[in-house]
Order: sequence, then C-alpha cells, then structure tokens
Amino acid sequence: MPGRAPRVTKTEAIVIRQRRLGDADRIVTLITPLRGKVDVVAKGVLRSKSRLAGHLEPLTHVEVVLAHGRSLDVVTQAQAVESFPALRGDLDRLSAALYLTELADRFTVEHADATGLFTLLHAALVRLDRGDGQQVVTRTYELALLDATGFRPEWTRCLGCGVEVPAGEARWSPLEGGVICVECVARYPGALPIDATALRVLRAYQSLPYEEAGRIRLTDDLAARLEQIMHSLMRAVAERELKSAAFVSAARHARVAEETATAGLDEIGNGAYAEDAD
Amino acid sequence: MNDFRDPSGSGASPIARLVDAFHRLPGIGPKSAQRLAYHVLRAPEEEARDLADALMEVKRSVVLCARCQNVTAETPCRICSDTGRERTIICVVEEPLDVVAIERTGGFHGLYHVLHGVISPADGVGPEDLKIAELLARIRDVDRDIAEVIVATNPNLEGEATSMYLGRLLRPLGIRVTRLARGLPAGADLEYADDVTLGRALEFRQEV
Ligand SMILES: [Zn+2]
Repeated sequence: MPGRAPRVTKTEAIVIRQRRLGDADRIVTLITPLRGKVDVVAKGVLRSKSRLAGHLEPLTHVEVVLAHGRSLDVVTQAQAVESFPALRGDLDRLSAALYLTELADRFTVEHADATGLFTLLHAALVRLDRGDGQQVVTRTYELALLDATGFRPEWTRCLGCGVEVPAGEARWSPLEGGVICVECVARYPGALPIDATALRVLRAYQSLPYEEAGRIRLTDDLAARLEQIMHSLMRAVAERELKSAAFVSAARHARVAEETATAGLDEIGNGAYAEDAD
Repeated sequence: MNDFRDPSGSGASPIARLVDAFHRLPGIGPKSAQRLAYHVLRAPEEEARDLADALMEVKRSVVLCARCQNVTAETPCRICSDTGRERTIICVVEEPLDVVAIERTGGFHGLYHVLHGVISPADGVGPEDLKIAELLARIRDVDRDIAEVIVATNPNLEGEATSMYLGRLLRPLGIRVTRLARGLPAGADLEYADDVTLGRALEFRQEV
C-alpha cells in the first residue's frame, strides 16, 4: 500500500465491549450512529503508556478517528466525550448500563444505520449517570428498543381477540409478546400469570412521556417483578440468555441482602409505594 | 493456512492440526503458529517429546488450591500453609499471575484468593462463573479470622464491577473491603490521560 493515503472516518461512538487481540492490542466494539455496530482494532492499549486505553473503556461516549484497514478499521485517535463516572461508581446503575449495552449489541446489525438506537442508548446512559431511577430508565429503553425493531409488546389488548384486558385478569406470553384474556387463554398453552400492578406500570411506561413515567415510585419488590417480566420478554425476543440481565438481578439481591443485614428490616422500602397507574 | 490442507481433502493434515493448536494459544498469530509448527517438525524427536511430556505433566499434576484457588502442585498451597503469613487479610485477584506480581512487590504478607476471571456479562461471565462462592465458604468455614479483603482486580470496568459486587457480599459478614488505589501509571503523561484516570488521581491524591 505504499504511496496511498489511508481513508479515514471521524465518528462519535459508544464503546460497548473489548476483547484482547494478541499481547497489547484490543478489538473494540462500537455502536456508531451511521455505521451501526463496528469492530475496530486499538493498538497498544494494554501498554501503560497508551494514549487510547482510558478513552476506549466500555460505556464511554467517544470521538474516534478510524483508518480503514484491510479487514478491520484501526483507531488512530480517540477522545472521550462522556465517561459517565457516576454510573461507573454504583453497582446497580453499572449493571443496568451493561444490560443496556448487551441489548444494543444484540439488536444492532453491523455496518447499517443505527441513528435511532444510538440516540436511545446514549440518552439512557446519560439518564442513569445523572441519577434517574434505574427501573424507569431500563424499562423505557427496553420498550423503545422493541418499538424501534418491530417487537412492540401489546400490554392492553388481548393478542387473541383484541378485547381490552383488565390488569387483574390478564395472562401473558413472553414468546407472543403480549397479554391474553381469560376467554382466549386456552389457545395459548405457554401463557403465564402476570402481576396486575406490574402490568399497570408497564402500560404507563409504554404510553407516558419519559418525565411522567419517572414519577411512578416503585418498591424493591415491584421493581423485581417488573424486571422479571421484561427480562423474560427480552430473552424471548433476543432468542438467547442475557448474561447481563442475570447480573442486574444478582447485584440487586446482594444490595437488598446487605441493607437487610446492616440497617435492619424496618428500613427496607421505607416510604416507597407503587402509584396506581391506571 | 490453506497450504497445509491434506491434498487428499479428507481433513486437516497433522501439521495443519499442530498449527491450529499453536494458533489457539494466547498471543500467537497465524504466522507465529506456522513458525512454531515448522520448528517442531525440524527439531529432534526428544525435543518434541519433552514438549509433549511437559504439556501433559502440567495438566496431570497442577491442581487448584482448595482454599485460595491458585494453581499449585499440592493443596493447600505453599502460601496457604505458610504459618508466617498474616491470616486476617485476603487479597483477591483475577488470575494466578497477579499473585506472582503482588508477591514480587514484597509488600503484602497476607493470604490470596484467585477468582479465575472477572465479572464481564458482555463476554458471558457472571459471578457464578468465578470462584466467589469458594471465597465466601472459605471465610465462613476455614479462615474465620479474616478482617479485611483487598480487592485487587484490574482498574477497568469489569474489575470495578467485580469489586463492588464483592463488597456487597462481604460487608454483611463484618469484613472491611478495600480496593487498590488508582491513579496515573508511572511514566504517564498528564496531557494524554483520560478523564476517569485523571479524576481518580486527583481524588486519591497524597501529601508530598
Ligand atoms: Zn492456597
């Protein structure tokens, strides 16, 4: 290639993961607005004097310059725009962020426009970092992601007959992605019971603007039920286990156990309640 | 590696198999794998047998220490059975090589625990895939005098997630959980430091 200047691209990106390549290099997976998911090579990042290393950690919003290589592009410059330090310092928010990026990873195609998804992921990371509730950020992100990819779940009308299902009588199917009424339940052998309060919150999350959805207050217990419903839905759509989803739950269990051990039971869920969202 | 394909087309030739085996080793690219395979091919038979024996021997005789999970020829390992070491403090590391690195400093005289990895959901590794249950069981049943656990995982996202998670599990047991100090590496250049590193270096500044 002597004499031919390499073509370069400058783009913003969110770093979603890294893996080792040989002794000092890494393959970094980026979500970019215009080129979707791209794997790029970062040279020398495992050396302590590397100028790229800290800028290419997962969960960093970064400006990169990429030189087009034979197989993979190579990062020639990287400058962190936002590194979301508050999010990194809190296990619940960090595990939530890892889950958001795993979903982004599963739902994006390589080298295709992903402007909408990039915006969703970026907004969710900013919200987690500034301290918005982990549940509202994660659940609205999941719902928006499903919307954008054609998997919008149906929380109100029965998948079988279209009738409005009262929250207290609803069943649901993660595989079919929606609720089922008592009349139709026989036709859906995989249908499961669904917690009425959790269903009302999901309806609200799907229909309300983000700021209003954020005003719904949740107990730890209700949060766990919401999480369980949405994790099984996302697993069904992604058609695979999501390791980060299990870690979100493990981190929460460990927090609740620690709070129980140190503060005593009476402090748990103090003052928190679930607003009736109907 | 098409050059090594068995001309009969019935599958991989012995040399292609060897090249593949070397290529699977960390840090060995396709070119190095070919060089190593040709070296073995040209080497005297004894040299090849020594290599094969050493490979099999390490798999046969090296086990994990039942307490600290470090690789060892006997369990409990030399460090765990050394009565001269402080038995109130455990340093938790990702890999056996990290024990070697910390021992080299000569600055730590407590016990170790090797996790054999780090929590990294993106790579399919969760807490249940690491030696975390073994750490808790050991503190509960064997090393009951532990007062402090130093989490010496790498100062990256996965290392931080692992240390915060361990903190949640260990603090309810009345154990002080600490983390290695973070800051600028020796020989670093402020101008090129990223915000997270520089921010932490400021936060953990010291008297001069
Ligand atoms: Zn040992």
